[in-house]
Amino acid sequence: MSAENKPLPIIEVLNLKKKYGSINALNGISFSIGKGEIVGFLGPNGAGKSTTLKILSGLIPADSGEAKVCGVDLAEEEGQVRNHIGYLAENNPLPEDLRVIEYLKFRALLKGLEGSRLRERTKVVLEICDLERKISERKIGNLSKGFRQRVGIADALLNEPRLVILDEPTIGLDPQQSAITRKMMERLRGEVSFLLSSHILSEVEACCDRMIILSHGQIVAEGSLYNLQERFVDKTIFEIVALGDKINIQKKVRQIDSSCELLHDDPVETSGKRRFIFATSNRDNKAEDIVKSLVEEPNLRIYEFQITRPDLETIFLRATKENWERSESKNRNMLT
Amino acid sequence: MRQFWIILRYELFSLFISSGTYVATFYFLSLLAIGFRFFIESFVYTDWILPPLSSLVVGLLFGSPALIPFITMRSFSEERRLGTLETLISTPISNSMVVVGKWCACYLFFLLIVLLAFGYPFILSILFPVQGQNLGFNEREIWIGNALFISMFGASFTSIGIFASSLTKNQMVAGMLTFTILTLYISCMAYLFGRNFSYDKNDFLDILYLSINSTMNGLNKLEQFAVGLIDISTVLHQFTITIFCIVLTTIQINRIHR
Repeated sequence: MSAENKPLPIIEVLNLKKKYGSINALNGISFSIGKGEIVGFLGPNGAGKSTTLKILSGLIPADSGEAKVCGVDLAEEEGQVRNHIGYLAENNPLPEDLRVIEYLKFRALLKGLEGSRLRERTKVVLEICDLERKISERKIGNLSKGFRQRVGIADALLNEPRLVILDEPTIGLDPQQSAITRKMMERLRGEVSFLLSSHILSEVEACCDRMIILSHGQIVAEGSLYNLQERFVDKTIFEIVALGDKINIQKKVRQIDSSCELLHDDPVETSGKRRFIFATSNRDNKAEDIVKSLVEEPNLRIYEFQITRPDLETIFLRATKENWERSESKNRNMLT
Repeated sequence: MRQFWIILRYELFSLFISSGTYVATFYFLSLLAIGFRFFIESFVYTDWILPPLSSLVVGLLFGSPALIPFITMRSFSEERRLGTLETLISTPISNSMVVVGKWCACYLFFLLIVLLAFGYPFILSILFPVQGQNLGFNEREIWIGNALFISMFGASFTSIGIFASSLTKNQMVAGMLTFTILTLYISCMAYLFGRNFSYDKNDFLDILYLSINSTMNGLNKLEQFAVGLIDISTVLHQFTITIFCIVLTTIQINRIHR
């Protein structure tokens, strides 16, 4: 695709800044999100995730910087952006007294839907969020957290938004409900762009195309999981479950890859098997050779062998650690 | 404008499904009915110079600090407590439209209570036409003047209640604040009722007292409204208070989300 034909990004943020009193909530962040992308916003508490999401939803203004959402310049037409987006606030506040269907109809009216379109969209979102039949007639106050979350997402999808902003959509949900939420996003993948913030890293890892890691109001890392793994984790981890002598296994592995180090080994239940964890800084994948060598060894029995990819948690901790330490030392200097 | 109607409808719906509002309305109207009944029975023995219908207006006015908080206290404080205000303003609706919509709903509910209260003399004049005529219940200007008077004060009182509700997340605090402001306002009006004083135009304190007197003498003006004379200064005064409180509430809502 040529540069001229390239579709405009759904979100374009340039040097966005926001202060609450003397605290810098955002320290000039810049990023963009393309059409149909699912992007996860990660960061420790107070990193500026919710502030960014609120600015992008047109709820609060930025102090400086540029932000365009669905082609709307937030500095000029802050309110306009609400016509194009769906927003799920943190903790998903909902009125307790209304029935699900009453609430969705009220929200649809506020979002400018009328008549047959209102009925059609309400039906569609109820179906997407699996809220049809009896649930839609129940009072919101009587719903479980999972269903309440689905009501919030159904509301965010009502006006066929081009962008859906979800602030902690799976917080407090059980794994089954989280999976349903993920499934809903999967279903709309490609049609709608999603920007979601979360503390549950496995969720983000499972459903996001890209991640943006924020710390102290700054973007400390950005990219796909693979990109982040490449950047932040310089070691490959092998996990071997075997029955045999520890020294023998270590020797065999090191014959293939001399940089491979045994990190630790633990017994697996009472079977006599042990779990050996090796780490290597060697970028060439020698896993196949290692397996072959171990299988050929008569005094060893191999039960499991796997390459453990560093998870998002490891990447998250490494990405935020540096920024965290820098900020801590800055605070210390200010105090002294 | 469409969104204003949506908010208005939703708020009215919320008021009608709230049991607290029904309880407050029931007790208020019951006490008002009892008071009105005893007043009408003993009317000939009193020094009351206004038409008997005005007694109902005075009852509504002095009872407002007890009634208005029940109508207005949940409008913003409950939304703030639940966090639904943020969800509400994430839709394409302006903050001022939300404030005006909520205020209108409370005001309409107040007018409904006034209408029900005015039902007492109306029923009385239908059941006992001769006595009704003697009490002046057949004179249209008396009805219009009294209704306009209480409607104006209702508008400003509900706007004060809405403003108090926007200040806190706690319904009870909002209610108590509304009660306090309205009680103070009515106490000042009651204190200044019927007072005439001479003043020195060079004395700053006298001038200050005069200006306060002229803005807080709403009860004095009831004498005119009660017989169907409309005092424009009072209308403007109440209108100004209403607009002022609505603007303050909008500023407060904007401030919360900055």
